[in-house]
Amino acid sequence: MRIAPQPGERIDRRKPFTFEYDGAKITGFEGDTIGSALYAAGRRVFSRSFKYHRPRGLLCCSGDCPNCMMTVDGVPNVRLCVEPVRDGAVVRAQNVLGSLDRDLLSITDKIGGPFTPVGFYYRTMIRPRRLWPLYEKFLRNVAGLGKIGENGTHRRYDTEHRRVDVLVIGGGRAGREAAARAEGDVLLVDEHGGGGALKGRALGIYEGGLVPVDAGDVLYRFRAERIVVATGGIEQPLVFPGNDLVGVMLPNGVRRLTRDWSIKPGERAVVVTADDAGLEAAGDLRAVGTEVARVVDLRSERIVQLAAVGKRGRLSAVLVDGEAVDCDVLVMSGGRQPAYSLLAQAGARVEYEPRRGIFVPTELPENVEAVGSAAGDLEGAAVPAASYDGGDGKCFVCICEDVTEKDVKRALAEGFDSIELAKRYTTATMGPCQGRLCHLQSIRMLARETETDEAAIGTTTARPPWGPVELGLLAGRHYEAMKRSPLHFRHEEAGATMMWTGAWRRPFAYGDPAAEVRAVHESLGVIDVSTLGKIIVEGPDAAELLERLYPNRFADLAVGRIRYGVLTTDGGRIMDDGTVARLGDDLFYVTTTSTGSESVCEWFEWWNAVWGYDAEIVNVTGALAAVNLAGPQAREALGALTDADVSNDALKYLDAKEITVAGVPCLALRIGFVGELGYELHCAASAGEHLWDALVARGAVPFGLEPQRVLRLEKAHVIVGQDTDSESNLLSAGMPWIVKEKPDFVGKWAVELVEERGIRERLVGFTMDGGLLPPEGAQVVENGKSTGRVTSSRVSEQVGKVIGLAWVRPERADDGTRLSIRIAGADHPATVTLAPFYDAEGAKLRS
Amino acid sequence: MKDIFRVSRMWRPRGELKKRYDVVVIGGGSHGLATAYYLAKNHGVKDVAVLEKSYIGSGASGRNTTIIRSNYRTPEGAAFYSRSVKLYEQLSADLDFNLMFSQHGHLTLAHSERAMVTMQERAEVNQLLGIDSRVVYPEEIARLCPQINLGPRQTWPIQGALYHAPGGIIRHDAVVWGLARGADRAGVEIHPYTEVTGIERTSGRATAVETNRGRVEADVVVSAVAGWSTLVCGLAGVRLPITTHILQAFVTEPVKPFLDVIIVSAQMHVYVSQTDRGEFLIGAEIEPYTTYKSIGTFPFLEYSARHTLELFPQLERLRVLRTWTGLCDLSPDYSPILGRTEVENFHVSAGWGTYGFKAAPIVGTTLAKLVATGETPDLIAPFALERFHTDELVSELAAAAVSH
Repeated sequence: MRIAPQPGERIDRRKPFTFEYDGAKITGFEGDTIGSALYAAGRRVFSRSFKYHRPRGLLCCSGDCPNCMMTVDGVPNVRLCVEPVRDGAVVRAQNVLGSLDRDLLSITDKIGGPFTPVGFYYRTMIRPRRLWPLYEKFLRNVAGLGKIGENGTHRRYDTEHRRVDVLVIGGGRAGREAAARAEGDVLLVDEHGGGGALKGRALGIYEGGLVPVDAGDVLYRFRAERIVVATGGIEQPLVFPGNDLVGVMLPNGVRRLTRDWSIKPGERAVVVTADDAGLEAAGDLRAVGTEVARVVDLRSERIVQLAAVGKRGRLSAVLVDGEAVDCDVLVMSGGRQPAYSLLAQAGARVEYEPRRGIFVPTELPENVEAVGSAAGDLEGAAVPAASYDGGDGKCFVCICEDVTEKDVKRALAEGFDSIELAKRYTTATMGPCQGRLCHLQSIRMLARETETDEAAIGTTTARPPWGPVELGLLAGRHYEAMKRSPLHFRHEEAGATMMWTGAWRRPFAYGDPAAEVRAVHESLGVIDVSTLGKIIVEGPDAAELLERLYPNRFADLAVGRIRYGVLTTDGGRIMDDGTVARLGDDLFYVTTTSTGSESVCEWFEWWNAVWGYDAEIVNVTGALAAVNLAGPQAREALGALTDADVSNDALKYLDAKEITVAGVPCLALRIGFVGELGYELHCAASAGEHLWDALVARGAVPFGLEPQRVLRLEKAHVIVGQDTDSESNLLSAGMPWIVKEKPDFVGKWAVELVEERGIRERLVGFTMDGGLLPPEGAQVVENGKSTGRVTSSRVSEQVGKVIGLAWVRPERADDGTRLSIRIAGADHPATVTLAPFYDAEGAKLRS
Repeated sequence: MKDIFRVSRMWRPRGELKKRYDVVVIGGGSHGLATAYYLAKNHGVKDVAVLEKSYIGSGASGRNTTIIRSNYRTPEGAAFYSRSVKLYEQLSADLDFNLMFSQHGHLTLAHSERAMVTMQERAEVNQLLGIDSRVVYPEEIARLCPQINLGPRQTWPIQGALYHAPGGIIRHDAVVWGLARGADRAGVEIHPYTEVTGIERTSGRATAVETNRGRVEADVVVSAVAGWSTLVCGLAGVRLPITTHILQAFVTEPVKPFLDVIIVSAQMHVYVSQTDRGEFLIGAEIEPYTTYKSIGTFPFLEYSARHTLELFPQLERLRVLRTWTGLCDLSPDYSPILGRTEVENFHVSAGWGTYGFKAAPIVGTTLAKLVATGETPDLIAPFALERFHTDELVSELAAAAVSH
């Protein structure tokens, strides 16, 4: 019930907002929360509890507890006490079967108790096993709170990076004072804003002074030189029978209802308090006309019995040492516990102080300071009992999870006698409040029951985030890295089917892949290979560096010549491959696989530093476009576009030469991944489209990745990462010729070890005897057991067969050996073919 | 049912340490407790002490994302985990403790053609071993998980998945507690808050362990300490080719059932399931740096959230409640190191990376057999530490997607 305007109220009665609750229109004012507006409109039950479906009402009014969670505009678990009113919001109760006031599932509270003690699900529903899915379905359906909506809300979230000298977290008195004292660039954040503070909740203190702040739609990532934590204290409930009844509140609940929202919380109140907060709440209640029938100050009055009794889940009376006082509001205040979580996450230790009955942070990390209540600057509270007796109602230690005193005692009796075990078994502190209102109570109860003290029990680890945070906010705007080749739009214009290859998008084919294969074999094709990694290695030690990195030789490579190279890890495993062209005495141009450019570059830099060589390594992948012009007509087409001599004598197989093509300065590499006469042309990315257009105009047929795969497979060229895996070595992959006699190279010992012990598997080519295409990944089988696997397979028109590469046992790796390959459950014969399937002598490449 | 009306102790209170045991198991997690349980149950070896430096299940056993599956890539791995799933299926009944194993199915998504090949390979390996595992395409994914975003506007469109029907989630703490109770009832002593600080050796044999509660002699010592394996084995002079990394996970606030299957995306380094309590349980890939310090990072939350929303945009307003980290002991080939070491009576279960919890019962049965009989069971022979000397690795590390 709203009372007459009060000085200092936080609502603006001139600005009404109307929202819908359960079909009814509810009006609140600016400054109201949905929770306060509903309370003013007479609603008292706000939710049903997790396990027993007990009615729950406003308790903390600070967004800590689970009591006021409803679904707002399809968003589940919104804490109404801190959700500002807005026009048109649609508010619905959640986790009820029926309504908040009549929830059919509350039967679990009335009769389910004896059948559902703590951990009952571990001890029941075991046999017969086939019924478990049914039980489980029921359990799943009754668990959980709100429902996820069908669609996302597509809210826009942003992330902002900020640097400050001093970040003060918490805008209470201590925080404001600390901010005023601090020097340099100072920023104050507070969950409720106001007083010049940024409105937002610090989520944690991470390494490097990173403090993410949840400000609704914006996630601020603060980096601060110094962090001052002034998060205050958290009002603690008392543990007694009926302490969850609707009408039982913490002092802040009363403070906000009366002072901020000018609402009279009830007619008659009782206050049981361990500190001044409860007395202040009594004053607040009187000020709005609520009769305060009884005040128990635990500092001066020792009580033994305390219990709340209710009707239909709503408070009707309080029993104090046998005396019953009728009331509809009970303010309980168990003192305040420093909100140390951020400090503990930052690395502080937490110690128990028996005199004050609280845990306080100590040994703060260097750049972190604590002030005010968060630092333990709290005086004048009595230490309440771990629990009070007095009635037979349920006595809750943790309201989020409906864990009662009885549950904790039972857990202890069963042997879950440490705080961590008891937490996991009872699930106390694991609910939405994350221990804010139940951690201290659990520790106290364990201390009492095990006849030790709180210090011996200790705390559980404080885990971020400090307050629940939306996934959408954490995700920010969706930026997934995507790489496009300089020729990307040419492919799109040509109607290519694009596909993902790592972070790159590349053309699968432009039309019929088989036709594109034919074009390369019969006339002329061109493929965009800009995605290849391109690395320049230059310096007096460049040759020596490459010589030691690769198993084969590069120091003796002549200027203007190219050699294929395979990189191995220090364990001798195949890591990447590509070509190395020597462009000068001290200058090399290295290509890598499309996904390997970064890792190879890092690999080079690593070893360059380890060996102390004088070589510069530059990754120029993004700066250059590259195309491969391939087919019997390649020389003719290239010759028509350049003045340079591209005859077979002037530009031999494995020659590298700088020439100008269609006016574009290019590095021409005569190599042949696809098996026909071919030239890789590398040029500035900005000139790529011009070069491409010129080649296409000369009759080159664009071909995609799929035809390239067919073409390379006809040559039995290996794709690292597809045909090899993290265990493949050079000898087993059939590349012993790569390994040269030299004093050292990365992985040499491992290669020698393999030489000594022999290979255990071997990569071979195969042709299927029939026309069936085995899927890549198909298994080579002997007697129903897997003895190898297919890594590549395609239908080759040129060869007239289904061809592929497979790993087999070395005993089955000889040319002509018959293999069995399992395809869709049946075994199909295949034959090992060691030579390339097409142009085995490589005559085409050299022609 | 009668059990719920009667309060019965799960295990005896911790007693004094004896001077000597037949077997000392270091590590009171799922592997250590399973080993002790099966030693007593299958082999009648009951003079066993499990030494745990904190509370039972405090390490990786209580920090994993509780997924049980057997659809591995190598025949060795798949056969091993297949036995493990079968044991897990019976374990609730064996232990008379409901571990809440729910086999709702497991989908490993493929977002690229290369990934599809990897799935195909795993399916083929699995099927040869009789494991229920197959490649499914978007239409079937939509049936198995109608909530998932298969839309064309996805950054990484889903091309298919490996579907493993027996895959599921289990209540991880219950596994620890059930095994602890079973071991305790069979006579095994469990000693929480007992930290091993040294291991004595005499002529190639481990003779005793030094703890913060005194010295204990043992005929056989087993190390099952996951993230701390290099340190504990180091005490015995056994060097392991293992690096320790952190793995992080988080849960959200509980909501009503939304997702039954488990969704894994290796491409996006995220896996998502919903627990019986209604929380979404979301994990990531291990962090690339090595550390023994269990401290979480914020970028983990950011990218995991981003990737989760890529798959389930509906979860945008769902709130993260709690994050945590655990330590993972990673071997070079992503397969475990299980069995004998060069110290004759010192056996090890290590190198599990992110797969250890799934293996608890099979590790327990096989290690127990090794300890009791001195013979290495065939199933774990491929995982011997010796393989790093003889270079016979078992690569679960599927090759990265690389293309020309």
